[in-house]
Parts: sequence; C-alpha cells; structure tokens
Amino acid sequence: MLKMTNIKKVFRTEVVETHALRDFSLHVKEGDFVAVTGPSGSGKTTFLNVAGLLETFDEGDYLLDGQSVKGMSDNQLARMRNEKIGFIFQSFNLLPDLNLFDNVDVPLRYRGFNAKERKERIVQALETVGLGSRMKHLPAQLSGGQQQRVAIARALAGEPRFLLADEPTGNLDSAMAQSVLELLEDINKAGTTIIMVTHDPILAKRAGRNVFVRDGQVTEVTKEAELDELVQKTAQVGG
Amino acid sequence: MIAYYFKLSLLSLRRNLLLTGLMIAAIGLGIGAAMTTITVNYLMSANPIPHKSEQLFYVQLDSWDPNQPYTEPNEPPDQVTWTEATNLTAAKQAKRQSAIATSNVVIEPERAEQKPFIASVRLAYSDFFPMFDVPFLYGSGWQNSADQDLRRVVVLSKKMNDELFGGEDSVGRNLVMAGTTFQVVGVLDSWELKPKFFDVTTGAFNEMEDVYIPFLLKQAMELPSSGNNNCWKPFEEGGFSAYLGSECINYQMWVQLDSDAEKADYLSFLHSYVEEQKRLGRFPREQNNRLSDVMEWMENQEVVADDARMMMYMALMFLVVCLLNTVALLLAKFIGRTPEIALRRAVGASKRTLFLQHIIESAMLGVAGGILGLAIAWLGLQGVSGLYGEDTRGLAELDLTMAALAVVLAIVSTVLAGIYPTWRTCSVAPAGQLKTQ
Amino acid sequence: MSELGPIFRALLRNKVGALLLALQIAVTMTIMVNAIHMIENRSSLMARPSGLDEANQFYLSSTGYAQDFNEQLVVEEDLRLIRQLPGIVDATQINAIPLSGGGWSMGLSVEPGAEARGSGIAVYFVDDNGMNTLDVELIAGRNFSASEIGYRGRNATEWPQNIIITEAAAKELFPDLSVSEAVGKTVYINNDEPMTIIGIMDQLQAPWVGWSAVERVMLVPQRTLFGSSRYFIRTEPGQRDAMIKATEKLLLDRDVGRLIRNVRTMEETRDDSYRGHQALQTILWVIVTVLTIITALGIVGMVTFSVNRRRKQIGTRRALGATRWQIIRHFLVENALVTSCGLILGVGSSIALNIWLVDVFSLPRVGWHYLPIAMAVLLVVGQLAVLGPARRAAAISPALATRSA
Repeated sequence: MLKMTNIKKVFRTEVVETHALRDFSLHVKEGDFVAVTGPSGSGKTTFLNVAGLLETFDEGDYLLDGQSVKGMSDNQLARMRNEKIGFIFQSFNLLPDLNLFDNVDVPLRYRGFNAKERKERIVQALETVGLGSRMKHLPAQLSGGQQQRVAIARALAGEPRFLLADEPTGNLDSAMAQSVLELLEDINKAGTTIIMVTHDPILAKRAGRNVFVRDGQVTEVTKEAELDELVQKTAQVGG
Repeated sequence: MIAYYFKLSLLSLRRNLLLTGLMIAAIGLGIGAAMTTITVNYLMSANPIPHKSEQLFYVQLDSWDPNQPYTEPNEPPDQVTWTEATNLTAAKQAKRQSAIATSNVVIEPERAEQKPFIASVRLAYSDFFPMFDVPFLYGSGWQNSADQDLRRVVVLSKKMNDELFGGEDSVGRNLVMAGTTFQVVGVLDSWELKPKFFDVTTGAFNEMEDVYIPFLLKQAMELPSSGNNNCWKPFEEGGFSAYLGSECINYQMWVQLDSDAEKADYLSFLHSYVEEQKRLGRFPREQNNRLSDVMEWMENQEVVADDARMMMYMALMFLVVCLLNTVALLLAKFIGRTPEIALRRAVGASKRTLFLQHIIESAMLGVAGGILGLAIAWLGLQGVSGLYGEDTRGLAELDLTMAALAVVLAIVSTVLAGIYPTWRTCSVAPAGQLKTQ
Repeated sequence: MSELGPIFRALLRNKVGALLLALQIAVTMTIMVNAIHMIENRSSLMARPSGLDEANQFYLSSTGYAQDFNEQLVVEEDLRLIRQLPGIVDATQINAIPLSGGGWSMGLSVEPGAEARGSGIAVYFVDDNGMNTLDVELIAGRNFSASEIGYRGRNATEWPQNIIITEAAAKELFPDLSVSEAVGKTVYINNDEPMTIIGIMDQLQAPWVGWSAVERVMLVPQRTLFGSSRYFIRTEPGQRDAMIKATEKLLLDRDVGRLIRNVRTMEETRDDSYRGHQALQTILWVIVTVLTIITALGIVGMVTFSVNRRRKQIGTRRALGATRWQIIRHFLVENALVTSCGLILGVGSSIALNIWLVDVFSLPRVGWHYLPIAMAVLLVVGQLAVLGPARRAAAISPALATRSA
C-alpha cells in the first residue's frame, strides 16, 4: 500500500541544514490503522507531508499503491492526492465561504466526476458522518467536532485508498475527540487504510499499529508500555 | 496617541509598498484627471469682473426678421445695429454706456525700420474705460467730447506701446493709422480678461485688442467691419452710409446700471425707444428687450465650451472609478488584517481607536494621492495647452485655489472611501477570529 | 469542467468586494463606450472630404495701405504673375478660405419674396480659375468664362447673374430634380434678386466646419475690391513649400504699397479648424487607456490581497488534488463572473449616459456594436490582470495545508 525506503529530506536555509527525515523507512499494509507519534520537531509533519505527496523528498524511494512517486510531475502528484489520499487536518481546513455540500464537493470536482455522481457521493459521505441534514450550512455554523466530521466526509467522498489524518482531534474537546476517533475506527473497519499523526499517546494506543518518529527516523513499537516509555523519555528532552 | 496611529499607518502602508503605490497612483490619477478638467472649466466660467459684474448689462433688442426669430425660440439678436448702437449711446439714459465693435487698420509706425502692419481695433465710446475699470499705465481714456467731435485719438495696449514706442510714455505722440494721424491719449497697463466678456461674438477667449479709438470714427473713416456681421434685410444702394443704416447687426451694447430701479428705468426707456422705432417702420417683431448682467450673458452665450464640460464629466466618472478602486483595495487590505485587529481588540483597543487608526491610514493615502494628483494635474494642463495651442491661453493654469481643492478633494474622497472598509474591519469580534484561520 | 456554482455562491458571501469591482467595471465600461463613441464621432467629422487638394494648396492676404494703391490692377497683375511661376497649377482671388472659420453666407430660395423659405449657403467669390485652383470637379453645366468675371465693391448689394453651386446645395434647393436638371434653374437672393445656376460641382466645404450645412456652397464670379484680397494658390504635387517662398518673393518684390500676411497652407488650416476635435480625441484616448490600466491594476491588487488572505485555503485545495491550472482557473472564473456582472450593469449605464449626452450635448446615439467590443476588451483585460496573482496563488505549496495557524 505505502512503502517508504530510506527517504531523506533536508531543509536548507543559508546557515543551517536540517535533516527532517533521514533513512526514513516505513511500510504500511492495506487495511492498517497506523498512529505516528513523536515529539515536536521529530519529523512527524515532514513525514506526513511527504506521505501525502504535499512535499517532495531528496533521496530514497516511495511506492504508493504500487507506483513510485519519485520524479512525478506536479500535475501527476495532484492527481495522486486527489484519487488515492483523503486528508484530515488538525484545523479542519474547511473553506469558510462554501457550504457543507460544496466543501465535500471540492475534491470531487477536481476528480472530474459528473454532477449526478458527485451529488450521490456527497450525500452519502455526509450521511456517513451524520450531517446529511445540514448540507446547506456554512462551516462557521457548526461545532468543531461537526466541522471535523465534514472534513472526514470530504476525505471519504472520493473513496481514497487511505486516509491521512494530522492531529485530527487536536482542536477538539475530549467528547468530540472521542466521537471523531470512533468514526475513524469505523472507517478503518470498513477497509480504508488510515495513517494518523498525533502527539497524543492515548489516541495512539487505540491504533492497530504504532510508529514512533525521533530525529527523522522510525522506531517501530508494538507494545503499549514501550510507547509510554518512549513518550515519557522524549517529553523530558523535547517540548 | 495620534502619533502612534501615524506610526502604525505608516508601517502598514510600508508593509506592501507595491499595493500602497497602486492605491496612491489610482487616487493620484483620478484626482489629476478631475483637476485638469475642473480647472479648465473653472477658468472658463470665471467671473472676469467680479466687483462689478452685476452692474454691467448687455443690451439686446429684437430688430430681426418678422418671419423668423434670430434664434429659436424667439431669442433676440446677440448684437445691435449701427442705428441702435449710436442712438442708445447718445441717449445717455444709463449711468454709463458704450456701444463697441471691432475693425482693423494698417498702422504705419514712426520708426522707419518698422514695417506697416495690420492691427485689430476696438471701437468704443469714452465711457468704455471707466465702465470696465480699464487700467491705465500712462494718460487716460479720451474725453466725452472726443466721441462726438470725431477726434483722432487713440489708446494703446501696453504691448502695442512697447512695440511702437519702446514702452515710453507716448501720451501726446502721433501715430499714423489707416492713412490718418492719431494722437495717443492713453496707454493701458496689462489687461487680460478671461473670458473677454464684453465681446464674445467671435470667441470668449480671444486676444484683447491692442488699439482703441472713438466709435463714431467708423463712419467718418469708413472703417471695415470685423467680427460677426449678420443681416436679415437687403440694404439699399448708397455705399457705406447705406450699409450703416441697414438692419445688419455688428455692434455690442453695454450699459452700467447701479440699482434695480435704474435697471427698471432703463428697460422702460428701451420699450419707448422701440415703440418710437416701430412708428418709423422698423422693429417688425414684438418687443423683446433684454438686459443681461455679465454672468447671465456668459451663461447665455455658453462660454464654457461643451467639450470642456463633457471632458469634466468624463474625468469625474474617472475619479469615481479610481475611488471605487480605492474602496475595494482598502477593503481587501483591511479584511486581510482581521486577525491582527481581533488581537488588538482582545488586548483592549476600543472600536473608536481602531477606527481612528484606519481612517488615519486612509487619510495618509489621500495626502499622498493628492500631492501626486496635483503633479498629474499640472502635467495634464501642460498637455491640454499643448493640444489646444492658442485656444487655451490662460485657461490651463493651476492656481492656489485649485491646488488646495485638489488636495482637499483627494483627502476627503479617500477618507470617504476608507469609511466602509474601516467600519467593516472594526466590527470584528475580539475573540472568534483568534481561534479559526 | 467549471466550478461556476460554488464560486458564485462563495462570491455571494463576499458581496461588497465583488460589488465594488463590478461597479468599477461598469463605470469603466460606461466611460469607455461613450469616450470611444465620441472619438469615432469626431473622426468621422474630420474624415469628411473638403473637396480640395489640401496637400498642395496655400493662401495669403494682400492688403493695400498706400494712398495710390489700385486694388483692381494689383490683383490682376499679381494673379497673372503667380500663374506664370513654374510649379504653380493655378491661382484665384477668393473672399474666404474653406475650413478656416471665417466667411460669408447668404440665403437662397427657389421662390421670390420675403416669405419664401431660404436655404443658407456659403459664398465664395472666385474668378474663372477658381474651380481649377480649388480642385473641384464640374459634374453638370459649365464653368464661368473670363468675360463673366465682374468686380464687387465693399458696399455692393447687387449680385451677378450666374452662379455655380455644389451638388449638396442643388439637392437642398431642388430635392426632386436630378443634378443636370438643376442646371439653368433660377434661384433668388436678397428675397427677389434672381440668379441662374450655370453649373454644379461635386464637392466643396464651407468655411465653417461645425455648420450643419457645411456642404452647401456657391461660387460667385466676382473679384472683391475690399482693400484686402486673398489669393488662393494650388501647386504641383510636392512643390508647395518652394512655391510659398517663390510667391512671397514675387509679391514682395512688386513695390505697390501693400502688406503680405497670413500666409498659410490648407493643411495648417485644417489642423487649426479641427484642433479642438483632435485634442478632445487625444484626451479621451488618454482617459480610456489610463482608466483601463487603473482597472487592471485594481484587479491585480484585489486578487493579490485575496490570494494572501486565502493562502491556507489554496494550500488545502492543492492538498485535495487541485492542479496548478485548476487554481489559476478558479481565480479566472471568479473574475469572469464578477466582471460579467459589471459588464451587464455597464451596458445599462453606457446607454443611460449616452442618452444623457444626446440630450445635453446633442451627440449622436451610440452604435450598438460598441457594447460587445467594450465588453470583450474588459473581459480580456480582467483575465490578463488576474493571471499574475493567480499564478502566484498556484505556486503556493500544498504543504501549507498541514501548517497550523
């Protein structure tokens, strides 16, 4: 499904070179629910950006759904994002001037579906997240949890191969976070691969598989205790 | 505190120099175009003799064709005949009166090295000079008696005196014109009227005449007519005197009337004069006498050219576009600053202070735009003079009033343009905005 | 392909900004349509042929001042000598110059009597060389013969027997007759003085370019003895400037107590007469051009602000799979929508302003074809203006979507 091998990503400014990812390797299989944790500055976000094809990488290889994305043109990357990946952002990133229907519609338009198919998918996606009756509402009229549900509906509507979630509950209170997480679990059970980046170990524990990132490298963990230990350790070092 | 707002505004304007420049340029161009055309209109419609314009009246009588009016709908002719010009002046029923006309003569200068040349002449009565407050450098106008005595006396313009007598006091000197020797009695100081209100028949902004001689010499010396000469009735054989006695109009009649009572008296005098002429078989049309003061007459004669007005309307619409542009840009700019404003509101800035801050920012754009506009207006007026040449002599100059108006117009319009965007931004709720985005 | 629906609904959420731009476009279009209409109107006035050979014609005034100045003899000898100069096609005495703004007009009627309806007609006193000098063509009848040329004193009231008129004058006087049928007809001047039309010429303009009857002209076979004479002179092509010098020298060398002044070419006269028109055209062009630039720059500014404000949104769209081109297209469509609203508004206001101009300045009605042209121009200008900031928007990295704040 997703296979990263020795990925290297360097940020350069005039004075410093920051190795955001070095020899980063990860293999995610179809149907996985992977939580990626790590302290601030560990390379989590860079991993997310590279995995989501939002940023390019310098070295290594990345196979997404069997295709190597290395050397793909900007348009090809956009197409890949559109067809294979569903994004869920920490701050929802809904378009404030569009109502829910039009928000979910955005990636479908780029996909080039016809009006009938788009409508069916939008209605279905919004119903899946329980907002089928509020299609004409604007994002600002919804609570944070509802907004994130819309974002999930938007991510699902295109039936992507996997969902990429960036701190999906970071801006939500615990009750709302709980329900969003349950929604993700349901989606995963239905067969969609999910990669979730989070700094919250409690959240991470609920995922089927845990990946810990530190200094741009992966430490695979399998036991909850190990994860706790790692988080504790790095909490003293990082911020 | 105000100083702080100024500093903030300056910072904000400097943050995006390109867009600030764009807004200033738009305001400047709008103000510049508007001021260029407003100035031309303002100078065209200026009162050329403000202290006296309500006492000076242009006389119109309807001596025209019984079958059709001079101009629709039943307007009296814009000039009078020789008969009326001489009769009305001789009647002395107003405080001052003078018929005037133009002609031209060949002048043969005293100095041998100067060649003879043609000059246009203003024919006038002695009252002309005090009536129109004509400024004199040397000497004065001629005596009343010189009018009837057909004395060969002449008043020269300053320019003509410089040319003929090297700028000396030439009073008492002789000058040969149209083959006759004239005596110089006066030299004018610089005298430029914009518009040249006393005779607008061939254009309201023509050059002033350089030579002034007694009106009745036209008859005595058979001087040619210039200006507009209109006739409705063929005249009898009999040479120059037949022509003068005809119904051809070529003369402008002015009277000075200091009060409404005098004006009423003069109108009734005109009425009885026309009645008398009707008994002599003239004036076949209904009585239609008019006294128009200077500004009424300028209005009647439409001295502000249609083209100038049309251009002014175009330029004002242009200014509207520039202002809409400014409102839209300010709006876009201020709305983009919403998070910052929400922060300021959160830390305790009142709506009032924020309003003030943004209005000051708009006003600063206005000042810059106004100054740029002034420069553009100046360039624009240079361009207008270049394009129109002689026709716009003295009509394309920026005076202090106009300069002040330009800056005020710029500031007022930009502040007005800034009000809506400012109001929109200042109604941002203090919290809310901090969280989303 | 289009995203019209959502873009339009989103625009409605930002009504004021869009409305301001639409209004600006509407006023811009209004000015553009009416200014170009005025420019075209003036152009067509200037394009009217004068009937002359303007490039090869000039004129001058000869004014006698000496006591013994004999105008009749001087004029005849002057013209004879001028015509002999190599490079001169012909010369005539004339009382007024076409297009110059100063001249003489009379009323002609087809019936005698003071009550008859008169038609205004411009009068040129010329001799038998007049038609050749002016370069007008006879289309019916005949030219004056040398023996027909008389003299006219300053206060003369009588008119000669024969005249030549322009086709336009013939059509005005005898609307039902063909040009050749008008030859030989009698018309009346000064109420009851008859004159015979002996010839019809194709085209010649009166001295007043602003006169509605500028095409109505008559030639009268007389030399004027008004003390000051005008000579109208036509030269071989390309010889004009040399001939001006030669003619001036010829006349100045004849020491007869007169002044030569006001030597001008027909081209200068045309420039002077139409200077106001030309100036207005230039000014309107400047206004239209600067206006279009301001509107374009305004759009650049607004889109730039809008892009800056929507960076995160654009990043999100990119993350959701929008290609760069789709981002650019989004802004193009958005602008096209607002511009179109402005243009529809602009059609109404353009027509309204024109109606007002027709009313107040008696300008002709605007041709409908100006409207689609102005609309197309403004639409293209708007799209081009959007292109710059839209490309910058397209360059926004999709990674912006994952950045917080």
